[in-house]
Amino acid sequence: MQIKFEQFAAASMLGSSDSPPRDNGEILFQRPWEGRAFGMAIALSKKGHYEWEEFRQGLIASIAEWEATHCKDDPDWDYYLRWLSSLESLVLESSLISEEELEERTSQMLAETDEALPQAS
Amino acid sequence: MTENVDRETYSAARVRALESLLIEKGIITGETVDKVIDFFEKDMGPFNGARIVAKAWVDPEFKERLLADTPSAIAEMSFPRGMAGAEGENMAVVANTSEVHNLIVCTMCSCYPWPVLGLPPYWFKDPTFRARAIREPRKVLKEFGLDVSESTEVKVWDTSAQIRWFVLPERPEGTDGWTEEQLAAIVTPESMQGAAKVAVPA
Repeated sequence: MQIKFEQFAAASMLGSSDSPPRDNGEILFQRPWEGRAFGMAIALSKKGHYEWEEFRQGLIASIAEWEATHCKDDPDWDYYLRWLSSLESLVLESSLISEEELEERTSQMLAETDEALPQAS
Repeated sequence: MTENVDRETYSAARVRALESLLIEKGIITGETVDKVIDFFEKDMGPFNGARIVAKAWVDPEFKERLLADTPSAIAEMSFPRGMAGAEGENMAVVANTSEVHNLIVCTMCSCYPWPVLGLPPYWFKDPTFRARAIREPRKVLKEFGLDVSESTEVKVWDTSAQIRWFVLPERPEGTDGWTEEQLAAIVTPESMQGAAKVAVPA
């Protein structure tokens, strides 16, 4: 059977602890960055930079780590923060980007965000 | 992590930093990421199935063709890439009537008819649900809040790589004169799995 990579990737997560939030059959992104992080993780694997299973295992571990230190019903739970942290780790581990580069660019992006906002104390 | 920046601002900046670096290094393009997102948000999802159902409700001839040969009937509609192709080619529709209620189960969710139904709900892949749905479908449906009368036969279809079933639910009363768009808006993924009926919102 021939299926699209995107379909395979999402299907592999269903019914497992790393299953993404969805609403009425549609993947649910609540903040714009969630969609970008989701798309990046799949795109990188699709392009062969890592195996999808590698990403999944990282995500599962990251979720387990969070759960070990929080209550199950902790309102602070955030699926896409786990997603982002696993994506970051794997991108660094795969040497696609170095940690220094990422820190530097993050600071730049934060500085840009500050400039775009009205003066805050 | 920087403690004095709020978490949201930081996460958004972090994602932008990652993407801009990956693009700069030629590892991925922004379009690749867009395409992945579009696949889930626009190309494939329950909105496709809802359009098929709505068309079948207003066009009896289309309904006939849909039940007789699902892939070619779907191919008549202008769907985005992939719909009439690989994932869709083994799809088959079963219609709910006053005599028969159909329910779909599956063992492997990679065989789920995604292009039309979207991502399956969490309970769909649960082995207990599947086993019970086959053994006692009426009871399982009741737990979903759907009371199927004793005079209606309940049929359970196991979706597989060979055939991926989806249900054509009954058109609800009180929708006379509705347009296809209006009708499509009330069709839920659950109704196309046979786990619910289509209801007119109050």
